[in-house]
Amino acid sequence: MNHMEKISLSKGFTLKLSGMPDNSVIRLPRPATVGVSALDIPHIRAKLLVKEKDRVNTGTPLFCDKRDTSIQYVSPGTGTVKKILFGRRRRLLEVVITLEGMDDFVQFDPVSSKDLSQIPSQKLADQLKQGGLWQALRQLPARDTADSAAAPPLIIVCLNGNDIFSPHPGLVLQDKIRQFEFGLSVLKRFSDRVVVAARKNSLALLAPAKHLITLQVPDIFPAWDPGTILYHIKKEAKENAAWYIGAEWLVRMAQFLETGRYPIDTMVTVTRGNDKKPHMITRQGSPVHLLAGNYPPGSLITTGQLNGRIKDPDAHLGFFENTLNIIPDAPGDEMFGFIRPGLNKPTVSKAFLSSLVDRKVLMDCTMHGEERACINCSYCEKICPVDLMPSFIMKALVSDDIEEALELGLLDCCRCGLCSFTCPSKIELARILSLGMDAHHKDTQG
Amino acid sequence: MINPIKKIFALLEYDFSKAGKFAKLGPLFDATKTFFFLPSSRNKLGPFIRDHLDLKRYMSFVIISLLPVLFFGIYNTGYQSGLARGETLDFWTSFLSGAWVVMPIIIVSYGVGFFWEILFAAIRRHPISEGFLVTGLLFPLTLPPTIPLWQVAMGISFGVVIGKEIFGGTGRNILNPALTARAFVFFSYPVTMSGNVWVAGADAVDGITSATALAVNAEGGSSLFSTLSNQGFSLSNLFFGFVPGSIGETSALCCLIGAVFLMVTRIGNFRIILGGIAGLVITAILFYFLPGTRGTWADAGPLYHLCAGGFLFGISFMATDPVSAPGTDPGRWIFGFLIGFLTVILRVANPAFAEGVMLAILFMNVFAPLLDHLVMKHRISKRIPNV
Repeated sequence: MNHMEKISLSKGFTLKLSGMPDNSVIRLPRPATVGVSALDIPHIRAKLLVKEKDRVNTGTPLFCDKRDTSIQYVSPGTGTVKKILFGRRRRLLEVVITLEGMDDFVQFDPVSSKDLSQIPSQKLADQLKQGGLWQALRQLPARDTADSAAAPPLIIVCLNGNDIFSPHPGLVLQDKIRQFEFGLSVLKRFSDRVVVAARKNSLALLAPAKHLITLQVPDIFPAWDPGTILYHIKKEAKENAAWYIGAEWLVRMAQFLETGRYPIDTMVTVTRGNDKKPHMITRQGSPVHLLAGNYPPGSLITTGQLNGRIKDPDAHLGFFENTLNIIPDAPGDEMFGFIRPGLNKPTVSKAFLSSLVDRKVLMDCTMHGEERACINCSYCEKICPVDLMPSFIMKALVSDDIEEALELGLLDCCRCGLCSFTCPSKIELARILSLGMDAHHKDTQG
Repeated sequence: MINPIKKIFALLEYDFSKAGKFAKLGPLFDATKTFFFLPSSRNKLGPFIRDHLDLKRYMSFVIISLLPVLFFGIYNTGYQSGLARGETLDFWTSFLSGAWVVMPIIIVSYGVGFFWEILFAAIRRHPISEGFLVTGLLFPLTLPPTIPLWQVAMGISFGVVIGKEIFGGTGRNILNPALTARAFVFFSYPVTMSGNVWVAGADAVDGITSATALAVNAEGGSSLFSTLSNQGFSLSNLFFGFVPGSIGETSALCCLIGAVFLMVTRIGNFRIILGGIAGLVITAILFYFLPGTRGTWADAGPLYHLCAGGFLFGISFMATDPVSAPGTDPGRWIFGFLIGFLTVILRVANPAFAEGVMLAILFMNVFAPLLDHLVMKHRISKRIPNV
């Protein structure tokens, strides 16, 4: 019997948001197009391997990473490359593919659980890189794609996704416990220490996988984030370079190795206000408008209310993106808004009547104020799940003192976004810290 | 239906924009407009949901917490001036005659202060910060009601320009601007800031003594308490505030109401307030047991030290200014405690100053960054390094 450890969290996001998805599962119809986004792949310098009108199979590499060309990003469908979208400075945004009726798969040699112990780990990594699934393994603190040449001190398997309403791991792993176990044994080839972490309120539905879970985290966002988990379990500095992977991607990695074919299905949640939408199984890279359905004008679609990206309705879901949050616009300017009692104004402070009422809250996608200078109020410190003092780190970064920022723990930042959420001066703390970490990562890559 | 006020702003918008004829006054227009209509632009960067608390509400809550001391201060100013003439005025007469004295001081403070704020905002092209709403009200509340209005103008000018703007504006100042303003007036115009200045309208009557409680010392071996009591400074008068003094500081009760409001809403940091009260009480008790102090304020004990003078006003509203206080929790406890400690030390051991809280807070403002630095060094040593 596996012993389940617990961590506790004294800080984090305490509001109860409305919009939790329902635990039923539906399968969406086949989309007309799929896309592979380069925007949710961290730090990538993409190099295209196809051009428009090329025919591609399911599993054909579309682009690779210039920094390590063996890491490939493959097509989740069979068809022709419809268009390749670039952003400013010719940065690759998306490769869009028009799907054909049937899938032709790029076939790899299957790896059975018996073979697993025989294959050298480097060869295993190479196969995963060619197959388009190595990218699922990422390395802290920069969250870059894992470096297969390094032996990680530990690998964290995160059962819960980035958002509060990411797909329920109990549904993601439904009927896939065997593949999940196989995936864990793949990870064991790379590190002796594998930590499997789940949210407390996910455990009931996770009963069939309970023997595999080694760490229980509280139900406070972002307790299930790999950076937060690592901060709370690490005992020495060398553990900082831990790898992590999400449950869905670990299962897909196992499916790929077992069958030799690129697994195309992904589970997605769409959350909106007081809706309770079911979990949806769809093809990786499905169009956003297909999933989002109808929504009020002015809404924002994001891939994580606190730590995701804004998603254009015409874009396609990225490899790592498995939740879409439709956040409504504000009702409009409000006269003397700053002094109203605020029974319906959610806050983590105590400055609105809403803080006295314990109920589900509906947030809109606006700023509720204007940017001002930092007044040293410490609201950011009070909410930071990894005990940082974001305002002090922000000041160090703004004055270009990276040494001071690092000393204050910049690289422990888990990019949860809560500091920006709470800041009464509306300073983009999370953004500033994030840019600081990225710049430092770029520097150290040489 | 479109709100008529919104219509007016829409009409004026162009003239105050960058291309308009009043472009320089853009910040003033923005400040007025956003006072009426809270701006809420769509988020472009994550997180895509944001807390409703902003600096406008933050600062308005400090203003709300000041309302009890403000209204009581107005009433008491009228009441004391009546007493000085030998009359006991009813509530409304006291209040109105008090308002007649106090309102001009507040108007001058806000008016002159806003002039500087707008000037700097226009030159630097940044929005007017809400912080001044608090400074502009705090400063008059620390003044005697007899202060000449030109000195109010000089004081607030010094506080805003030298105390805040030359450091870069709100959020970058080292000292509390309102206290900087008061310190300027205190040292520049000592005659109007000490002695018999605490009762408005007292000049008209001969033979009125109107020092504050802290200037009282017992003579001829009698106890401090009975001497204070004889001059109208009984503990209950000091607690409720029916004594002469600076406009806003006399009522310990009203200061406590404001302090509780600030602590409950978490706008003022409770560590500073409670730390300060602890520092004052402990130091006062230590002096109480010191021999040979009979009849002086060393002998007063914690309750008199708490209720007399401006300590509760200072610790509740001045020391809790987050910009000039430390930004770390242990730093805040030490900061508050030392303010309480220094206040008693100054009152007891320095015959030049009857009141110590203003200097105690300004002194600790200077040390706030050092306290933060020490706390951060300690916290860094506790972290597992990640570089």
